[in-house]
Amino acid sequence: MSTTDILITGIGTALPGVEGPMDLVDTATPRAGTAPPVDPAALIGKRGLRYKDRASQLALCAALAALTDAGLWAKDQLTVAGPSVAVVVSSNLGNLDTVCEVAADITTEGVNGISPMGLPNASSNVIASSVAIRFGLQGPNLMVCNGATSGLDAVHWGAAMLRAGRAERALVIGVETHNGPVEWLVGRPAAELLDGAVALLLETAPAAAERGSAPIAVLGSYAREASVEACVRRLVPTHSGQPGSWFVPEGHREASPAPLAGVARTDLTERFGRASGALGVLQCATAARQLAAGGEAIEQPPVLVTSGNDHDDASAGLLLRAVGASA
Amino acid sequence: MTTEPQAFAQSRSTPSDGAPDLVFTGIGAVASVGGSADEIFQALCAGRSGLAELRSFDRGRYRVQHAYEIDDRPESGADAPGRATRWLLDAIAEAARDAGLGEDLAGIPILIGTGLRELRSAELGWRDGADFDLARLHFGTALRERFGAVRTYTFSNACSASLYALALGSDLLAAGEAETVIVAGVDTLTESMYGLLDRVHMEAPDQLRPFDRERKGVLMGEGAAAVVLRRADSNGGAPVRGRLRSVAVNCDAYHVTAPDPNGIAEAVRTAHREAGVKPEDIDLVMLHGTGTLLNDEAEATAVGEVFGSHVSRPLMTAIKSMTGHTSGGSGLLSLIVALQAIEGGRIPPVVGLREPVAEAESFRLVRDEQRIAEPLLAQVDAFGFGGVNAVAIVERAAL
Repeated sequence: MSTTDILITGIGTALPGVEGPMDLVDTATPRAGTAPPVDPAALIGKRGLRYKDRASQLALCAALAALTDAGLWAKDQLTVAGPSVAVVVSSNLGNLDTVCEVAADITTEGVNGISPMGLPNASSNVIASSVAIRFGLQGPNLMVCNGATSGLDAVHWGAAMLRAGRAERALVIGVETHNGPVEWLVGRPAAELLDGAVALLLETAPAAAERGSAPIAVLGSYAREASVEACVRRLVPTHSGQPGSWFVPEGHREASPAPLAGVARTDLTERFGRASGALGVLQCATAARQLAAGGEAIEQPPVLVTSGNDHDDASAGLLLRAVGASA
Repeated sequence: MTTEPQAFAQSRSTPSDGAPDLVFTGIGAVASVGGSADEIFQALCAGRSGLAELRSFDRGRYRVQHAYEIDDRPESGADAPGRATRWLLDAIAEAARDAGLGEDLAGIPILIGTGLRELRSAELGWRDGADFDLARLHFGTALRERFGAVRTYTFSNACSASLYALALGSDLLAAGEAETVIVAGVDTLTESMYGLLDRVHMEAPDQLRPFDRERKGVLMGEGAAAVVLRRADSNGGAPVRGRLRSVAVNCDAYHVTAPDPNGIAEAVRTAHREAGVKPEDIDLVMLHGTGTLLNDEAEATAVGEVFGSHVSRPLMTAIKSMTGHTSGGSGLLSLIVALQAIEGGRIPPVVGLREPVAEAESFRLVRDEQRIAEPLLAQVDAFGFGGVNAVAIVERAAL
């Protein structure tokens, strides 16, 4: 590791059929569609959940789990200075229900027929600010709503803010839910859509070292390109070795680009449903646990994560390395 | 949970210790008061407001009857999807042209800050069956079609979104990951936001009156703004519109809608520190000034605290008095007006301001008419729901 590395030092989940991050690499767990939905009140208590939309509630659950996993939350308190922690949330559909339903209600009942408690949820960044408020995270607070690649883009911008010295840690959350408006806009039934959240705690190597935290994985290069092929070629040059595994974009069935011939592929949407803005974060969390399970072998190859297929506006990719593996 | 912002040992480089010089090489904008950056600046200096009776929605459903809209709906007057995207593309094309970049922007990162994305189109699709597609909820799809751009990002960061995007864009340049970035902001009225704001007003405002004792609240406005930002060392001596000295971003972590003066003050201090300037160096403050009861008080308190005995020195203005609150795009629109004020030697007034609130009594607010002045250094404020604060410092380009 070098002092400029960005590390993953915590993972938190609020996913159906998943007890915790370790379950991400246990493929025997049930498919999301068949598991009972996440119950936020059971995970983090009822206090503060009233008036929060479902996406914000799920994000709060994943946030607490990741902060706790990273050792940053103990005895109901943040163990580091609030301004040192940035928040980055990715969600495309999080507040779509409030927006669509309020607009429809105004038409039928007029403006006096709507509840003023919905106001915060009309702004798409309500998830990110709710997380900051609950845990006292006063660093930069960013809501990424960037389509199919949004989750990976969020991880990238979390890392970029740390590299730029804007914070020492970034809590990156991917979350989506389903409801009438989401099913309408995605064009899929609820059973095929993710209702869950996952969070990563990114930390600069010096900040992690200072508090003696054990990293789970190390972030590598990122790219956002015009196609899956272009993205893979950018991140896996022909002269370099192959990645150990490849998390493919949602529904990507095409033959691998040449650099990835024979590499094991995983489409997490087969297990969790269409995850939209949550997918990239979910992929990184799973890849990180996979690398950690592989031990600290210097020879362990990186894992390639990609979101956004050739029907989307772009394809984004990120490499993750095992702790102790050479860059 | 409320805590005082604590000092956090930052390791950011500042202009004094080797961070690259960043320059604006192009600007573009669209708003209720004009269809280009120049038109907007002329209108604002003339004190011309975009205020009108509400046109996008069925007025009979609302108590609030006014807004600052761009009146470009189809002839039937009914609202149509995709208007925000259209203004965004127009503003970016104008900025790119101004910078001599043309229409092929492949390879240039484009960062968009928006409060409400294309959620207005989603409302029209869900409720009225208008044609709308998930791929157009963010702006990357349209940016690729029009400009061939693929390093595109839509950040939905409430009313500070476009200055947040500017902060991230400046980081890309400083890290050497790009020589040029385009940063833009855009917002349209959504019925959900307009209606919910209406619902929480004690009394319906009929004009946005920043810092006035009689202000009744915020009114929404529509618009887009775009800038081309480059590393000066890659600009090859081409003309520039100004320099970016710093952009600070933070979060109050205090309340989902109410502001916290402590968080705002911290953002202003950080912006000054990173720019290597002191409050007494600032010549012009482009206030966020939303006309909201709580927000104006919080901003005035924070600015008063940071500027201390120098608070009466800089000229101050608040363009939302004429553009309405253009939400996520508003910070960048203020920044563009700051660049134009620095270039043009005149500063648009705050209109509708009769008696300032106590917290702003000692501010040197430009009132009623434009002010002829030669500011060199300007501060631009933008604060949003959830306590997301962003403050930029811009400067006249070296002559």
